[in-house]
Amino acid sequence: MQYQSQKIALNFYTAAVLLFLVQVLVGIIAALQFMWPDFFILNFNTIRTLHINALVVWLLLGMMGATYYVIPEESETELWSVPLAQLQFWATVLAVSLVVVGYIIMGINPQANTQIFGTLLLNEGREYIEAPRWADILIVVSVLLFLLNCFMTVLKTKKFTAVQGVLLGGLTFLALMYLPGMFYTNSMVKDQFWWWWVVHLWVEGSWELIAAALLAFMLHKLLGTEVKVLAKWMYIEVGLVLFTGILGLGHHYYWIGTPGYWLWVGGIFSSLEPIPLLLMVWDAFRTTRETRGVVSNRVGLYLTVSHAIFNFVGAGLWGVVHTLPQVNKWTHGTQVTTAHGHLAFYGAYVLLIVAMMYVTIPSLRGVKEFNQSKGYQAFWWMTISMIFIVITITGAGMVQTYLERLFGLDYVAVKAGYNLWFWIFRAIFGVGFLVGVLILVVDVLTLGKKAAA
Amino acid sequence: MSNNAAKHLFIWGSVLCFVILIVLTVDTMGKLDQRAPEITAEVDEGKKVWHKYDCIGCHTIFGNGSYFAPDMTKVTVRKPTGYLKKFIMNPRAIKPDSAMPVLGLTDKEADNLMAFLDWTSKVDTNGWPPAPILASARMDKTAGAGQVLFYRYDCAACHEIGGMGGVAGPDLTHVGSKHPDMEWHIRHLRSPETVVPDSAMPSFDHLTDQELKEIAEYMITLK
Repeated sequence: MQYQSQKIALNFYTAAVLLFLVQVLVGIIAALQFMWPDFFILNFNTIRTLHINALVVWLLLGMMGATYYVIPEESETELWSVPLAQLQFWATVLAVSLVVVGYIIMGINPQANTQIFGTLLLNEGREYIEAPRWADILIVVSVLLFLLNCFMTVLKTKKFTAVQGVLLGGLTFLALMYLPGMFYTNSMVKDQFWWWWVVHLWVEGSWELIAAALLAFMLHKLLGTEVKVLAKWMYIEVGLVLFTGILGLGHHYYWIGTPGYWLWVGGIFSSLEPIPLLLMVWDAFRTTRETRGVVSNRVGLYLTVSHAIFNFVGAGLWGVVHTLPQVNKWTHGTQVTTAHGHLAFYGAYVLLIVAMMYVTIPSLRGVKEFNQSKGYQAFWWMTISMIFIVITITGAGMVQTYLERLFGLDYVAVKAGYNLWFWIFRAIFGVGFLVGVLILVVDVLTLGKKAAA
Repeated sequence: MSNNAAKHLFIWGSVLCFVILIVLTVDTMGKLDQRAPEITAEVDEGKKVWHKYDCIGCHTIFGNGSYFAPDMTKVTVRKPTGYLKKFIMNPRAIKPDSAMPVLGLTDKEADNLMAFLDWTSKVDTNGWPPAPILASARMDKTAGAGQVLFYRYDCAACHEIGGMGGVAGPDLTHVGSKHPDMEWHIRHLRSPETVVPDSAMPSFDHLTDQELKEIAEYMITLK
């Protein structure tokens, strides 16, 4: 670690992995509720809200931590303001805790979710962006303070690098794309239209920019590859991500009450979305192959390349199989989407942030050598479990598509009867995933500490 | 390609795509109101109920949401709102093994929610969700005499309607648009070759005049 202020990243990493643990614990509860709906004191809707919100927030915390590491290194200076970063960190933790308490209160007593100043007090009732309006405002303030800190750091030395540009560009795009979700409309069609702007342009737009920038950063740091070469491919990758991803938004506008031309726009552009993700895989392999010399942080490289591969498989392949309107007409709203969601988030973002942790924590703790075996163990427990989780949900989705959509069986009959074994196996592999996460959490909290002592 | 060229391509290409997205968004916003019924005060209040109880935490609507419980987009098309309201007030009183909890909706909230679900049921969703092939091919209570005869004489062995049936003969899903004339169908059933040269279809001359008329009536409804 060259700059003391980079250490703030560790706060974000710690909060991120703890929240990851919460996400997986509630995920297992949700999996069990597919078999026993009354299994837990909180109903499925609250558990599911916690599961997906914890995911989004811990990934954001991980991205912020990673950025606080990258920016000083790229700008070759200390962070503009460490106290501001600390304030932003603790304010975010406080706001997230309040939101979680609100969800739990509402879960126990739904009537507590009352209207206040024209918005709902505890839960907005909109998937992924359930956080109430007051929390939205706090989130925006937090992200603005974070961006201010980063941009002021860049301005200190005015060393504008490609990685920094794409990373901060992605984060700014992310902040802007939160805004279309912050107003009420009385039309459910318009509601979903703007809601997709937020959700899609985050995960298939701005987040992929951040991923491409961090991928280039990690390859440079691990392998010492020339930045110039990495930067060119990064620009091509992010260019293709946005050329296909922005209008790929159309694949969410097939069936929500929007005009028919979206079937063409969405079908064509979203079919091309895997191309940049494949390019990233090729980029990671090419860069690794061309490297001469010994790579000391092998687990970091392993995770980086795995992220690229599973980003392509989860977001790319599992997405493209049901993105054409002719197919999506039958699969839309089934477990096929859930399978895609799980593998895409795992490959594109969970592995990205975990890789960033393994690439940066050794230097943050001031060690060169560290025990890498725990990292591999965590990776394999999580990855094998996730592959099986995705296979079970894909199977459930195919059965659902055939029986409910094609043959006209009732939703409830298919879920309770025909898909029961899939739910059982999903829960078992969920426990396997939890084992991986526990190993990860312990390792992230202790990695390099022994060696340093 | 130089780094600078790649950078400029990325920036300006992305800006162009975003501008196209904004143009399409403006166009879409102008068209949405014609594709859905008017939003009354009840519908708006019902939408707020939908959000208040976090219904999307279990259900999907327009196919988006949680996949834990049935999709609500067209729920009032097949189930009367009277039934749905009773169910939502106390699900297990209606269906003992239901996974749905009692949420404590007031009578007024339930009425508004029904108005909202009735609204979404009438939105033009480009034909989604599609009618299940098997269920739509099966004769339901609205099946007319001609449809019954169509299956009794096993016409489906060679002809498809709505994706269900054989492929030996032409697909009849839209045959009513192509041949809207009843007399044509009766002549064709009696003696296919005289109407369609080289037709491989057998004659159904043994059917009564009444039966032929009823099948022809069914054919011209397939548009």
